[in-house]
Amino acid sequence: MTAPPPSDRLRDGLRAVARIARWEVGRSAGVVDRRTAALGLVALLLAGAVGGATLATGGAALDRDVYRIGVAADSPYHEVVRESPALAARPPDLGSLGRSVEVVVRDDQFYVADSRKAEAALSSFRSAVRRHNLNQMEAEENVSAAFPVVVTLRYADRGGSPGAVADGGSGTETGAGTGGVAGDDPASGDETRSGGDDGSESEGGSDGGDGGADDTADTAGGTGGTDGSLGVPFLGGSLLGGGNSGSPADISPPFPFGALVLAFVFFVPMNFVIQPYGSSILNERINRRGELLLVAPVSPTAIVAGKTLPYLATLVGLTAVIALAIGGGLTSVAAVAPIAALYLAATFVGGMFARSFKELTFVTVTISVFLTSYAFVPAIFTNVTPIALISPLTLVVHDLQGTGVTAAQYAFSTGPFYVGAAVLFTLGVGVYREEDMFTQRPVPLKFLDALDSRIAGPRSMAVLSALAIPFVFIVELLAIAVLFVLPVDVSIPLLLLVVAGVEEVAKSVHVYAGFENDFTNRRTLRTALILGSLSGLGFFLGEKLTAVVQFVGLPDLALGQAAFTPVGVGSAAALGLLVAPLVLHATTTSIAALGASRSRNWYFAALVPATLLHAAYNFAVVSVLG
Amino acid sequence: MSLGDPRLTIARRELATLRSEKTIVLALLIQLFIAAFSSFLVVGLVSLYDPGSVDGFETEVAVTGDASNELLATVDERPSISGTRYVSETSARAAFDRGEVDAILLADRRAGRVFVTATVPDGNVRTTIIVVQLRDALSTFERVERADRSAQLSATPLGLPPRSGASPYYGFSYTVLLPLLCFLPVFISGSMTVDSLTEEVERGTLELLRVAPVSTVDIVDGKVWAAVGLAPAQAALWVALLDLNGTSVRHPVAVLVVVAALALLVVTLAATIALLAPDRRAAQFLYSVGVLVAFGGATLLPVNPVNSVARLAVDSVGPTYPLLVAGYVVLGVAAYLGLRRTVPRIDVDE
Repeated sequence: MTAPPPSDRLRDGLRAVARIARWEVGRSAGVVDRRTAALGLVALLLAGAVGGATLATGGAALDRDVYRIGVAADSPYHEVVRESPALAARPPDLGSLGRSVEVVVRDDQFYVADSRKAEAALSSFRSAVRRHNLNQMEAEENVSAAFPVVVTLRYADRGGSPGAVADGGSGTETGAGTGGVAGDDPASGDETRSGGDDGSESEGGSDGGDGGADDTADTAGGTGGTDGSLGVPFLGGSLLGGGNSGSPADISPPFPFGALVLAFVFFVPMNFVIQPYGSSILNERINRRGELLLVAPVSPTAIVAGKTLPYLATLVGLTAVIALAIGGGLTSVAAVAPIAALYLAATFVGGMFARSFKELTFVTVTISVFLTSYAFVPAIFTNVTPIALISPLTLVVHDLQGTGVTAAQYAFSTGPFYVGAAVLFTLGVGVYREEDMFTQRPVPLKFLDALDSRIAGPRSMAVLSALAIPFVFIVELLAIAVLFVLPVDVSIPLLLLVVAGVEEVAKSVHVYAGFENDFTNRRTLRTALILGSLSGLGFFLGEKLTAVVQFVGLPDLALGQAAFTPVGVGSAAALGLLVAPLVLHATTTSIAALGASRSRNWYFAALVPATLLHAAYNFAVVSVLG
Repeated sequence: MSLGDPRLTIARRELATLRSEKTIVLALLIQLFIAAFSSFLVVGLVSLYDPGSVDGFETEVAVTGDASNELLATVDERPSISGTRYVSETSARAAFDRGEVDAILLADRRAGRVFVTATVPDGNVRTTIIVVQLRDALSTFERVERADRSAQLSATPLGLPPRSGASPYYGFSYTVLLPLLCFLPVFISGSMTVDSLTEEVERGTLELLRVAPVSTVDIVDGKVWAAVGLAPAQAALWVALLDLNGTSVRHPVAVLVVVAALALLVVTLAATIALLAPDRRAAQFLYSVGVLVAFGGATLLPVNPVNSVARLAVDSVGPTYPLLVAGYVVLGVAAYLGLRRTVPRIDVDE
């Protein structure tokens, strides 16, 4: 018998995928009976009504009447208290100070109770009065007396910033790095923050050469620009990006609030779509329903692809609709699609591992929380630091702000998501087989099973290590995002430890899985060393991928260097030591593998010295090479 | 034995599966993660956008232009910012490029106003802090300048209450963090009920249970009780933890009663949805939209759960607060009794 040509097999496979996708859509539509559809319609109508009401009333006041201010009805401050939702007006009774009122206003004197709450009340009251004054001034006829100060805010580059980088030796390298980045990174260009002010826009051109005369000319242009807009100051700045000119109260730091809120809209459908998707996967595993599909002449890959396709298509479609609605372009869709893919991939693995709907709910909530924060938190810093690029949402914010995105930035932001989604699907498909689908086992054991299904001989160790890198990357970047608010003295050692720990686990967990299954009869020192070394080698090779990082300028951040230079890529001085990281990875993983060859507790115990050794090495590299 | 027995057995079985799957640990971890992350966000943002909370960070400012003396007088009064006068903008810019100053303020008088051009370094975390510090200093300067022109104004601005050393996280802890930690368990309980009931239907075990001498009402009762009991227990844990961290909750019992009453309400809603639409996909969707609508809509009302919990915790309720708590209890119990009456009329297995 002759095997069909590859093109035929491919066509058959695709046909099977399409058939399963159609079946999945039909079945999902089938569960929606008339009662459910009516309930859904009512729920959506109510949601629309509530959303509309929220918009109409200007949002909800969660802190309504939290602080109580004692103020007479005829006092000018009474109106202030009445206008501010957080403040409640009470009679100005000094006797009840500290019990039923926090602050009392009497004859323009402020009496404050002695408590943290009263201090917070006073601070809230102070800003309410300031707001009130501002509103009053806006009603004034004489604008120049009401707003005697007009501010124009400009952003300027300057060569080298001493003091900004606390990490001793890296100072010079940082300076050079910034220069290179300014060219290809639109985030640091001045045009980004031209919130409607002509002056600062023209300044953007003079970015590269810091000519003094040039700047003086620009200043004249800047003030001239605001001269024209005399009178009405900007209220609250523009929606996208911070305000740049007007009364002092109007200038604000570069915070892309509006774009962030809009970008968040992309996440809403994902959290809804992964629910039915997870249900659909788990449904196959209940009462051995999936068995029929398993015995059909289609591969598990085709089944999974067919079941996933409708959901992915729905998400991409919704993303495109949202992008159209909020003014995003193709970049937004291209940036959100990998997030959707990773959402589905993680949910698929969750659906394969979970034992019950309840467990699935917790798994999906965990996925939502983790991915949402991973994507959302860095994007807050879009205009502040290139580190924000670790999140594809930053690309969306750039897109909405109208600043371009380079291909390298796109690759850097979305790369881990694409590879991560692919790896998760691969893992999940590995356990899409009878013995795993219809058995009830704890999630960690299923995970080990999934890893084990991808192990075929010692060489798989290297492959799995390399495949773990996107996840290591995601976790490490998340750690940087969380830690970079801390002072550099604290965050760098802490980060080195976290990085070492994450990498050690990533390099050794499949070795442990191997010893639990394939290599269970070969628990020898020799096997442990071989598997450990191979795993270390795979990780070392995969880690070279982090060289991509260098293209988008992450290393000009002190933390980025700490996380990625120990790898030994790029840095000229480390080139001679290229072998050192390889030896390190092989050694530490062998230590962990030795533990893994004995028992679970030994494995956990062995991770400690492996992590410490790794961290010590990283620390040495960072302090020697700077 | 008494009537309550089978229902308690079902409730115990519910809790036992949670324990064996260790999902409750995951649930607590998720809540902790959300709380930690929202705190991190707020602490991070506040320290970025509120310079008063950043200790030992002094901004050096170069002041130049023909209104520089007046501006300098205001700038020097502020603790976190110090100014130096430069004769020309070129020399100020040179100092800026050398890194001696963090920002340049060019202040010129024209047409009865002061025009200030502020130049700040581009693209780093410090920029944000510098901008906020400049804004505060310039706002003070504006007040001084405005006072000089008060004769031309029809109304005088109100005097500001004194500055206070209040922690910027105080309001957040009570109005956002505490309600978040109190209501997340409530939502999770409801979601659990949906899962539990739809899974019985999916696996066909609801049929089996009904062959046993228990009614559907008993089954629903047992599941509702287990889910409702979990929410205030988790909330109590968070209240105790917050207390350890210095955020003391003033009426803890009242807060927990409100949480329990809302859990009863939400779990009742969840059970109703699960019985009406026994496919998990539809049920979970309806439940999440329903809860979003209910809580989102409620925050628009003058009395809403988030605000009630915040005001109870911060002790801004007055002596009539038991009435408020009783209102929530009545709401929860009424919904629950309504569900019990409806269950026999719902045709579950279709």
